[in-house]
Amino acid sequence: MCEAAARPCGKRHMTSNIQTQLLGRNVSFAVSEVWLAYWLLFMRLIVGWWLLHAGLDKFLAWPFDASWFVGNAAQGTSVGPLVTMFSDGVLLTFTNIAVPVGQVLIGLGLVLGALTRLAAFFGGFMMVFFYFINGETGGWSHGVVTGELLGIVILAAIATLGAGRVLGIDAILVDTPFVERHPKLRYFIG
Amino acid sequence: MSQLTTADEIALYLGGGLVLLGTVGVGLLEMIAGSPHPVSGEGQIVHEALVPLHIRSYIILLGLAIWGAYAVYKVVATTPETGQTRRTL
Repeated sequence: MCEAAARPCGKRHMTSNIQTQLLGRNVSFAVSEVWLAYWLLFMRLIVGWWLLHAGLDKFLAWPFDASWFVGNAAQGTSVGPLVTMFSDGVLLTFTNIAVPVGQVLIGLGLVLGALTRLAAFFGGFMMVFFYFINGETGGWSHGVVTGELLGIVILAAIATLGAGRVLGIDAILVDTPFVERHPKLRYFIG
Repeated sequence: MSQLTTADEIALYLGGGLVLLGTVGVGLLEMIAGSPHPVSGEGQIVHEALVPLHIRSYIILLGLAIWGAYAVYKVVATTPETGQTRRTL
């Protein structure tokens, strides 16, 4: 009986009180724990599928050729000096494999919640190049806040908040003796 | 409530501040005193922007780079705090 347990009937719906300081001011607010977990999972699945789909799509249309993107398109952009080094030879071959493989691994990591922080970091890293090359070659014609920038922000949030522990494999990994012996690994898992 | 380190503050305020400056700050400035639509839908330059677009890009890039550098620094130089897990479900 709910009354006998001295708690409300139904599933427990708890809130956490966040108390911190930001910009030198005290900040205090209540967060619904179930909604926090829900949105972390939701962000992980949406962004994970975004990247997983992009990677699988490249495999389905194999071979993938990034030469135009890292060559002509990147030239003159703010990330051009770094990216154009990968526009021919062995570095281009590396790029042609690393991009689709990376996208699939990052996407899987996010969808499954496995090594979530590592996946989110590299997802954000990759997205920075897409953001500047796509944005600058288009003259930022749709403004500087694009899907890629929003992706970077969401990936940063996923990495910061450790979203892999929400119904993800990281919830299991974090309790393994191996991770307990190597605490730095907690930076890679959710 | 753990204390923020200098690295935390640089990432929070300088990194985030630069991203916001490049997006919101310059965007507002262009709307008020410059050219809100310097480029047409086809990507052709219509008006000269008050803050050149490549400068705006570099401001945002610097902010993102600071976030990235902070993430690498945390992994290399620190050990994560042991979070207390509450099992209530």
